[in-house]
This record gives sequence, structure tokens and C-alpha cells, in this order.
Amino acid sequence: MKRYIFTLALALVALVASAQIKKPELMVVPSDVWCISNGYYTEVENMGITTKVPNYKQALQEDMGLKLAIAKLNDLMAERQFPLQSLEQVIKNLELQKMEDNMTVSKLGNELAESPLDEVARVAKCDIILELSWEVKDFGPKHSISYILEARDAYTAKSIGAASGTGAPSLTADVDVLLEEAIVANMDNFNNRLMDHFTEMQTIGREITLDIKVFANNAAGVDLETEYNGVELIDLIDAWLQLNTVQGRYTMPYASENVANFTQVRIPVYDERGRAIDANGFARKMAKHFKQEPFNLPCKVLVKGLGRAVIIIGEK
Amino acid sequence: MRKFLLSLLVVALCMPVWAGAKKKADKDTNQFRYEIECAGNAIQGTYLVKVWTYSRKAAVAENQCRKNAVHGVIFKGYGGGQGCVSQRPMANTPGVETQYSEYFNRFFADGGEFQKYASIMPGTTETVKVGKEYKVGVVVSIRKDDLRRALEAAGIIKGLNNGF
Repeated sequence: MKRYIFTLALALVALVASAQIKKPELMVVPSDVWCISNGYYTEVENMGITTKVPNYKQALQEDMGLKLAIAKLNDLMAERQFPLQSLEQVIKNLELQKMEDNMTVSKLGNELAESPLDEVARVAKCDIILELSWEVKDFGPKHSISYILEARDAYTAKSIGAASGTGAPSLTADVDVLLEEAIVANMDNFNNRLMDHFTEMQTIGREITLDIKVFANNAAGVDLETEYNGVELIDLIDAWLQLNTVQGRYTMPYASENVANFTQVRIPVYDERGRAIDANGFARKMAKHFKQEPFNLPCKVLVKGLGRAVIIIGEK
Repeated sequence: MRKFLLSLLVVALCMPVWAGAKKKADKDTNQFRYEIECAGNAIQGTYLVKVWTYSRKAAVAENQCRKNAVHGVIFKGYGGGQGCVSQRPMANTPGVETQYSEYFNRFFADGGEFQKYASIMPGTTETVKVGKEYKVGVVVSIRKDDLRRALEAAGIIKGLNNGF
């Protein structure tokens, strides 16, 4: 009897723990326009075209105002039980990790195995990017601050919300004080937008992007136009999505025999067993369906975070 | 003995007058007739608002400013401009005041919990006579973070972390 009660209690605890929606990670990043206008960028030449790429490390090392703004935002978000990921710490960790990996060798002198994809995946990832920019404006002896904080979904690139405004001109207050004032004054409005986004997510599901790709010359000899009982694979995927998305919400902006992109895919935040799911869980569920009879498709699911997944069919 | 009875009679006669004045003040404030506007940038965790309260008695209006300021922050929000940032109401779900009327009746009762979250900024009172009544403006500092936490704890509004 005791064992039965213990098992039941354990199951209940597991259910409560899993009933929480996966919490998105937020990170403040200085906007491209702020980095470039303040000289924190590196020029990269790509196929004959020179582009300016923000240099976050330099900005964090040299700009006290940026550090102050990030610290203030973190403080305010932590107060709402939503601590932010630290960009500086993420950059440091990546560098340290890379250094450690470079120095790790086996007794036989072999280095760590890392595919190019693993290397790309190590780049700092978060679910919601908070882009920060500000500009000091002078009105004679007075100056004021124009401030923008915009939240963007890292996977769909959609703007979740923004708070912006120009503070009252001041004769005496220095720029750091004005910046802090602007952050404090705009934070509630910004959090209201975030709250709207989270409420929408809990009502009509998490928005993700899903890409289906095909391995070239795969051993299974399939592509998205392969027919099963007279129906093309792409149509079968379409039908599966129709059934498994919230209210059949998704769009397919592009599809060919090798690639299909699905955007604005609204997935339920919980699966049928009440467990929280994200893009990865949703993609695995889809892959599982197509691995079974009558398709027997070998599928590979790539993890891209809470809001993006890639399924490659044809091989593992 | 006679003196005592006379005093008792005077007190008894005054009671309805006091009760009437109290009733009038309650009526004025129960309707929450006020205007709310931003009064500048406040320190972290607070809002600085100016509340204009209407009443036939200037003193009553001044007394009710704190209650109206808290009410305004919860249910009305206020506009921005001149360096001020507009704020949405804390409880922005339609019908929330009616849905939780029992809680808010207690919250806004005389001596109620609302007092914990508002303090009048000294020397900011302005009185204007409008027709037969007074419009009294006072700058009030609202401890909005504490107020929000109290409303979250009571289940009236959701926290940012809710559901995660």
C-alpha cells in the first residue's frame, strides 16, 4: 500500500513539474544600429561585399553605458522572476569552452570530435532577443535620451513588442542617469507587451518555424514528391500538420521536391499526456509518425531551440 | 446629572450630522470621480501621478486622493507626454473590478489596504472651484511594484512568470 501511495505521489509530482510551459530564455543585445554608430563593429568581406558586423565583445569591454543598461534591465527583469541571460557571460563561456576543447587530447593524441554543425550550434542562442539602442540628443545646453527596447522572437524574427520614447530634456543629469531613468520608465510597458505575447502563446500555442529537407541521393530514394498510395509526401506532411497544429494554424511559403518551409506554425504548449513541448518535441512527434508504416522514412531531427526545428528525411 | 444628560443630548444630536458627512464623502468617493495624469519620472518601483478628485468639500477630496490614485493605477492607467511615459492599467482584463468586487470593496474601504501603496507628496495640493464643487489635485507616489505583487498574490493579475 505504502509503495502504491509513494508511486502515486511521485507521478503527481512529475505531472505538476511537467505541466509548466518551457520558459523562453531572454538576452539583451545592443542593436546593430547602436553598435555601428558607436564604432563597435568589424568589417567582413563576403563575396566582394563589405558588411559591418557588430562586435559585442568590444562594446561590452569599452562602453560603460551599455553595461549599466544591461545590468539595469537584468535587475528589473529578475524582479519579475525572469532573469536574463548575460551576453557577456555567454561570450566568455563560448571562448572558454572553445579553448578547453582545443586543448583536450586523448592519450593517443586524438582531438575532440566536433561536426561543423556542432560548432555552429555553440554560438550564443536564446529564444527572445531584446535589442537595445539609445541616442543622446542635445537641445542647446540640455540633453535628453531617445530609447528603444525591442523584443524579437529569435526563430520567427517577429517583433514581440517594443518600448520607446524620448525622455524630458535635462540640464544637469548625466547620460547614464538619463538612460537609467528611461529604462525604469519604459519597463512596465515593455513587460506588458511580453505578457501579451506569453498569454497569446498559452492561448493559441507556441509559434515555431519548421523546415523539412531531403538528403541528396539518399539511400531510401525519397523526396517530397514520393507517392504513398497515390498521395505525395508533401501533401501527407501538410495533412499531418493540419491535424496536429492548434486550429490548423500554419503557412507553407515555399515547397519543392527537396525543401518545404512551414512558418507561423502554432503548436500546442502541452502534448496529449500533459507534458510541455517545444519545436523539438513537435518535430520528433512528426518524425516518429513518418518513421512508421507505411512510410518507413529514416528521419533526422535537428534541435534549433524552443521555436525552430529541422527534419531531414532520407537518412539518419 | 443634568449637565451630563445635556452633553449626551448634544453628542446624540451631532451623530447624524457626522454620519451624514461620512456618507456624503463615501458617496463622492465610491463613484471614483477623478482624473489621473503623470506627474514626472519616479524612482524605481514607484509611479508619480497627479490625481484630481471632485467633491463638494475640499477636505474630503484631498482625503480621497490616495484612494483614487491607487484606483487609477489599477484600473485606468494614464497618458504620457512631456518626458512622461504613459502606463496601461495594471488590471487590464475587462470586468475585473466587478469580478473581484468583494476583494476591492475591502481593499478600498476606509483604512483599507490601499493606504500601504500610496503617499501624498507634501506641498503639492491644488484646489480649484468648479461650479458647486471642488476639484483638488494632489501628487501621489504609488508603490507600484508592491501593489502589483499584492494583486498577483491575490490572483487578480498574472505575473510575467505565470505558466512557466
